[in-house]
Amino acid sequence: MRRSILLASALATTLALTACGSGEPSGDSSADADASAKPSALGSLTVWVDETREAAVTTAAEAYEAESGVDVEIVQKNFEDIRADFLAQVPTGEGPDITVGAHDWLGEFTANGVVAPIELGDKAGDFIPVSVQAFTQDGQVYGLPYAIENIALIRNTELAPEAPKTYDDMVAAGKKAGTKFPFLIQSDGDKGDPYTYYPFQTSFGAPVFEQNDDGSYRPELALGGENGEAFATWLGEQGDEGNLSIDISYDIAVEAFAKGQSPFVIGGPWMLEQFKDLDLAVDPIPAPGDQPAQPFVGVQGFYVSAQSKNALLANDFLVNYMSTPEAQTALFEAGGRPPALVEAADAASEDPLVAGFREVGASAVPMPSIPEMGSVWSFWGVTEASIISGKADDPVKAWNKMVSDIEGALG
Amino acid sequence: MTTSTDRAGSRRGTAAPGTGQQVLRHRMKPGRWARELGWRHVVGVLAVLYAVFPIVYVVSASLSPTGTLTGSNELFAQVSGVNYAELGDTKFWTWMGNTLVIGVATAVGTVLMGAAAAYAFSRFRFAGRRLGLTSLLIIQMFPQMLAFVAIFLLLISLGEVVPALGLNSKLALICVYLGGALGVNTFLMYGFFNTVPRELDEAAKIDGASHAQVYWTIILRLVTPILAVVALLSFISTFGEFIIARVVLQSESNWTLAVGLYGWVSSLLEANWGLFAAGAVLSAIPVLALFLFLQKYIVGGLTAGSVKG
Amino acid sequence: MSRARYKGAEAGSGTFSGAGFAVKLVLIALVDALGVFGVLAAWRAGSWGILAAMVALLVAANWVYFTKRALPLKYILPGLAFLLVYQVYVVGYTGYVAFTNYGDGHNSTKEQAVDALLVQNERRVEGSPALPLTVVEDGDGELGFAVVEDGAAEVGTAEEPLVAAPDATIDAGAVTEVPGWTVLDRATVLQRQDEVTTLRVPVSDDAADGSVRTQDARTGYVFQPVLEYDEAADTMTDTSTGVVYTPNDDGQFESADGETLPVGWRVTVGFENFATAFGDERYAGPFVKILLWTFAFAVLSVVTTFALGMFLAMVFNDPRLRGRKVYRTLMILPYAMPGFLAALLWSGMLNKSFGVINQVLLGGAAIPWLTDPWLAKLSVLGVNLWLGFPYMFLICTGALQSLPGDVYEAARIDGAGKWRTWRSITMPLLLVATAPLLISSFAFNFNNFTLIKMLTGGGPRFDDASVPLGHTDILISMVYNVSGLDGSAPRDYGLASALSIVIFVVVGVISAIAFRQTRKLEELS
Repeated sequence: MRRSILLASALATTLALTACGSGEPSGDSSADADASAKPSALGSLTVWVDETREAAVTTAAEAYEAESGVDVEIVQKNFEDIRADFLAQVPTGEGPDITVGAHDWLGEFTANGVVAPIELGDKAGDFIPVSVQAFTQDGQVYGLPYAIENIALIRNTELAPEAPKTYDDMVAAGKKAGTKFPFLIQSDGDKGDPYTYYPFQTSFGAPVFEQNDDGSYRPELALGGENGEAFATWLGEQGDEGNLSIDISYDIAVEAFAKGQSPFVIGGPWMLEQFKDLDLAVDPIPAPGDQPAQPFVGVQGFYVSAQSKNALLANDFLVNYMSTPEAQTALFEAGGRPPALVEAADAASEDPLVAGFREVGASAVPMPSIPEMGSVWSFWGVTEASIISGKADDPVKAWNKMVSDIEGALG
Repeated sequence: MTTSTDRAGSRRGTAAPGTGQQVLRHRMKPGRWARELGWRHVVGVLAVLYAVFPIVYVVSASLSPTGTLTGSNELFAQVSGVNYAELGDTKFWTWMGNTLVIGVATAVGTVLMGAAAAYAFSRFRFAGRRLGLTSLLIIQMFPQMLAFVAIFLLLISLGEVVPALGLNSKLALICVYLGGALGVNTFLMYGFFNTVPRELDEAAKIDGASHAQVYWTIILRLVTPILAVVALLSFISTFGEFIIARVVLQSESNWTLAVGLYGWVSSLLEANWGLFAAGAVLSAIPVLALFLFLQKYIVGGLTAGSVKG
Repeated sequence: MSRARYKGAEAGSGTFSGAGFAVKLVLIALVDALGVFGVLAAWRAGSWGILAAMVALLVAANWVYFTKRALPLKYILPGLAFLLVYQVYVVGYTGYVAFTNYGDGHNSTKEQAVDALLVQNERRVEGSPALPLTVVEDGDGELGFAVVEDGAAEVGTAEEPLVAAPDATIDAGAVTEVPGWTVLDRATVLQRQDEVTTLRVPVSDDAADGSVRTQDARTGYVFQPVLEYDEAADTMTDTSTGVVYTPNDDGQFESADGETLPVGWRVTVGFENFATAFGDERYAGPFVKILLWTFAFAVLSVVTTFALGMFLAMVFNDPRLRGRKVYRTLMILPYAMPGFLAALLWSGMLNKSFGVINQVLLGGAAIPWLTDPWLAKLSVLGVNLWLGFPYMFLICTGALQSLPGDVYEAARIDGAGKWRTWRSITMPLLLVATAPLLISSFAFNFNNFTLIKMLTGGGPRFDDASVPLGHTDILISMVYNVSGLDGSAPRDYGLASALSIVIFVVVGVISAIAFRQTRKLEELS
């Protein structure tokens, strides 16, 4: 009995093995044969995109495939996941050759050595300067920009025929319109939304970090001091008056504006799709302080992986195919963000709303891409929210505590 | 000994249930009905309201062509099937198929492996049994927050050897889920196996049945309810899991429902709540269907017992 | 009756065991075949770790199923194999990471860090033109570049600097033919793209003039390295300042005066992460509060969900109840929704000014459900109850089926009331059956990161703490914050792993103790 077991299993194993053994090598060799026969198998590019940009990148990729015979594999990821996944996967050699991304990831990407520089050459001049500047670190360009996004004041022209000059004008016009809210600005509950509130803060002369002459930031906080305190005091007052509320989330703000419950909302081009039925205008954000209200500019672009085995293809694809007006326009149509390429941006600016956002963006400041920014966000928003909601009795004290906490976190 | 064998025997022969209940129900007087059953309906209605209310909200959002998920309190202000129709333009149905494949495979594997292990722990006495049981319980408690890093690297190396076990493979994901097949499920079944009288299998063994025979023909039939419960639990947890799934399944056509749906709302600015809500409503249907299907097994033992009692 | 039944079984037992044996043989042969295939594949791929693991598993499987001594293992092994590969390995790997500095700035291997530093520090020579470029090959297969500068062709390789090639053909601004060289077609260039992108063709004999490189094989630019790596000495040298950087113990290049280069690599750092975990004073105050709340949250979550689940299971355990199926099915609904959706949904419903709870159910009240410290805790528990009671309901419904009916009969005969029966029979038996699940539910909630993150994000924040933590933060969300996984600080996987291990030990010890207690309980009953 014993022997028969061993015999039987040995037999079965051998049989199975021969099956595998004969199947496997031939499979390999046929794959090799395919590879040498088909030029397309010479190289293949993997590109990470998020859902909104997928269609546009696919179109450009098809054009590239047709011309160069290279396979382009588009992998759709959640935009929020890309940053961490790219950081985690590139060192393992997995990861994509190219990924979409935001310019403020740059500091972290270079510190981890996961991105390779892109030489735009003379093409750099074809882009809106701030977009290339945002992807530049230490004299090297690390991304191909395709879109610039910033917030502005979106106005329902039926409820408010004229653009407000100052913040007080806006509140007055809003009250005169007799709508439920004089104006809308979103907050993420008690986590606040310092990004959307930033133009108000800059109008008091309290930017987040000190800026170098070339526009890059250095990790020295600038949001404290007298100017910062003035902004904090103003936030407290407006919260008390009910003009600002942390309970208005993005959803609520969009819904209320779409229903005509307010003549103004501060927001970005991504909102416009929800307002299709309204007559709109896009204006500069009215300043409550005595300086211009400058929102953050975010630039989106494509990064090339430092571990890409197809660096040549990746650069070729980006520099020679994704920087064309057609590709940039397609991306604009897919994502609604004004293009970074001047020619495409000019074309897109025929739409007065896009032109409005672009005009505000021209005077805006790039969001800091230094890694230290990460430590700022979480303190910043919560403090603003607690001042607006009145949870912090003394705005100035709360603001100063925030500044020292951030300094503690920066170490 | 004979009593319990008899009881189990009569359980197995779930002969003709129902008739006894029917008679009881008709005979009951209103006062007694209220005292014994009526209040249960009150509790039931309250519990269902609690359970269902937030879901009504999702259904309302799924029928609204413009609305956001949290911005509107007017339920069913607008009713349209636009969102459901739009699901056809997405990969929703592919994801649904993937989820069903992965969920069913994981559930079957979990039941088979978990039940076997529970049988061993319940019926055999061996060195390291207690330690094994405790370790099983403990190992599941490792905070999974960082697991994705290790799983990712593991799958990369496995994929270099056997591509089917590497990244972006449904089989690999099923394997990862089966890694958790023991543990909690084993415990659930272990407790249940213990309630099946040991005298039963001993009697069978005296009659000449082998351990495998006892397991497959006696024990497994008696514990059908818990097998159904474990299958359901395993299916549901696979259904809702997206942290590991989105690390493993990279291409969109391989995603599961949870990964895909999460993608629709992960970016709050571009969140597609309408589509998401419609997807969420539809994705709950397989779970409910499975529950309805398994319910008769889950309460099967009860019916048999009550006929006797 | 039972005798007869098993007689029948016995009569057929010969065929059964024969058939069973055949099934076993086929299965094992299948496993062996797959296993040996895997071993061979691992051999081919050179993955020795996987090879060893596969051989070990194969030997174990064959031994277990062909020996008579390993009866229990026959039943445990399949699940155990998966457990070892996909769970134990994961825990072990995390344990290893806890002793490294894996994280932002130390993300990869030294080799990759060196590459990254070199790439980042190669600068285009200012004012140098863009050169239309063609990849060429000489007779020995060595690659070179043919470029067009000011309308004149030049050609060179890594060894030989660019020289004029007056007899080259220039078409549409780029070289199309050079005598003595083969112009490579696009396909060949792509095939050898690694060589092409790493090729540097010096402009002249003087290295200070820089060298031509290309990223797309269409256009070349003159570059000049700022950092140079000396492989033999393992040092980095800044060519502009002459400063020499040597590798230090933290996985970075460091100069004599302590300045480090930005990109580092992974090294093991011993117990440093554990020291950091307990060393940061800013976390000392919130830590105690968070620890207490974590325990309270985990325990209360188990108690409330179990109580409600058990109550409902018993209510619907009456076979005479009409519509039980409908009730049960509807009550499973919360469980059929993915957890993250439920948390997001509830956070909207509990919004103070606009949420449906305040606006519709409470007629316009302004109760700060998620922003008041105590109410936020209550809300977290309430939402977790909604999410968790169907699970307990299912478990208890299942467990109730298994309670022996004769005990109830005996109790009824003894004249025990409903309450007494419940207290002294149902409840203890249910507890015995479900105790391990309650313990594991405790552990699950102890680490229930998704709920906290999606519902409150840990808020409302502590007013008095200097770290971004709040009243509903639990230990695991604190780890997320401390180690920067939430983006509020540089990501530090090493630290996060160390903290995970610490939490694991805490939860594990508590559970092991609780588990021993339930064993006693079980033996008592």
